[in-house]
Amino acid sequence: MKPIQTVVVGFDGSADAEAAVRWALSLARQIDVAVVLVHAVGLLEPTRHPNIVAELESATRRLTTECGVESSRVRLDVVDGDACSVLLRCAEEPLRASLLVVGSRGVGAHAGLLLGSTSLELAEHSTIPLVVVPNVEPVVD
Amino acid sequence: MLIVNELHDDSGHEEQGHPERPDRTRAVMDGVAELGLGSDLEFATSRVATRAELTRVHEGAYLDELEVFCYEGGGDIDQDTYATFGSWRIAQYAAGGGLAVIEQLRARGEGVGLVVTRPPGHHALRDRAMGFCLLNNVAVAAASLTALGERVLIVDWDVHHGNGTQTIFWNDPNVLYVSTHEWPLFPGSGTPHEIGGIEALGKTVNIPLPPGATGDVVRRSIEQVAEPVIDEFAPTWVLVSAGFDAHRDDPLASLALSSGDFGALAKKVGTFAPGSGRLALFLEGGYDLRALRTSVASTLSALLGGDYAADATTNGGPGSEHVVKASQDRLSALRLAHEVAVHEERAQ
Repeated sequence: MKPIQTVVVGFDGSADAEAAVRWALSLARQIDVAVVLVHAVGLLEPTRHPNIVAELESATRRLTTECGVESSRVRLDVVDGDACSVLLRCAEEPLRASLLVVGSRGVGAHAGLLLGSTSLELAEHSTIPLVVVPNVEPVVD
Repeated sequence: MLIVNELHDDSGHEEQGHPERPDRTRAVMDGVAELGLGSDLEFATSRVATRAELTRVHEGAYLDELEVFCYEGGGDIDQDTYATFGSWRIAQYAAGGGLAVIEQLRARGEGVGLVVTRPPGHHALRDRAMGFCLLNNVAVAAASLTALGERVLIVDWDVHHGNGTQTIFWNDPNVLYVSTHEWPLFPGSGTPHEIGGIEALGKTVNIPLPPGATGDVVRRSIEQVAEPVIDEFAPTWVLVSAGFDAHRDDPLASLALSSGDFGALAKKVGTFAPGSGRLALFLEGGYDLRALRTSVASTLSALLGGDYAADATTNGGPGSEHVVKASQDRLSALRLAHEVAVHEERAQ
């Protein structure tokens, strides 16, 4: 198995995506990996949410600080495309991610159906390991 | 002679506030009406695309899934794409509309086809909906023609790259896919380096253009980059993914075409058809209703020899250097692919 060097996290600003980002950042605290938050810009976003990139940049800084990871190891990439295609492309050049991390449900998704579920689509098509992080309170032993 | 599909009721495919809405097909038909074609306008009986026709370009499992998703009430498929209870049936009619128009063109042996259906199709992949698109209408039509031994040119002048159509025909030597589109923009694909798969090298032509590019740049890109490839390919049919969202008033993109530019572009693309009755336009994007109406009228008038008074053509925008670069990048990609093929042949 190749060492994990770059972890890509799908980030649309939702609470589910934040849970995924927190998981990836906690991994980064334990092993030396770079974390790239990737935001997919859909057809409608430039008109419906023109300020979202600034909001996501701010959220990235906040989450990085809260999770205690050096900011030099975390960055936000904004990429045109639908979330599934964009995240699948992250396994290729130039990112060559070794691990994909997503929340269990993105904005507008439906549980239990492949259609409308980025995580299930990725599970079917991804060529690199995928972690799907549920947005629940951690169980305390 | 203009042949249009009979409009199937598409009012069941709508989501509040979404720009891909039923008013769009009405705006297109208003544009047709402005031409006053009278007996030169004929309607092709609407029909659904059969499963056999759809599975030429879509996976059966995806079709099943989409049908169930709709009949369970639908919802948001991704951040852009929705389906409703009625969407499956409407999408079947959207794909069937193109087949009906082509059948009528073949039967008459003359005329220009216009497929006025929605949802649009050029982003839909073999196994996935995206970018407002559920079924790839133009791909279904193109596949029906290649099944008859035809060589099909698809010109996609929608402002967004038609990633679905490109992917579906990536390895098909009987389909030449040519796209002009704004870059950077959704869906993030469509570089000049994307030239087709090993079985169809050179049969994909992408010309990305910067925001603000005007009609002269788009026409020049077709003439300088695509036309030599099209001449060599010698299509027997021409299908156009006719999005009108490259219009300067469109809310979803930033190219700067006028309605007159679509007429000039259509006139050029029309010359690629080997004869009458072998050209059909498929509605893709276009979300400003006035721009849609006037651009459709301008496009059809240019193809049918009318005198519609469209807005003046535009020129002087950025992008000339992008046209040159697209040509250079495409040649580099072709050379590289050739070297790899030679190397692999020697290694065997």
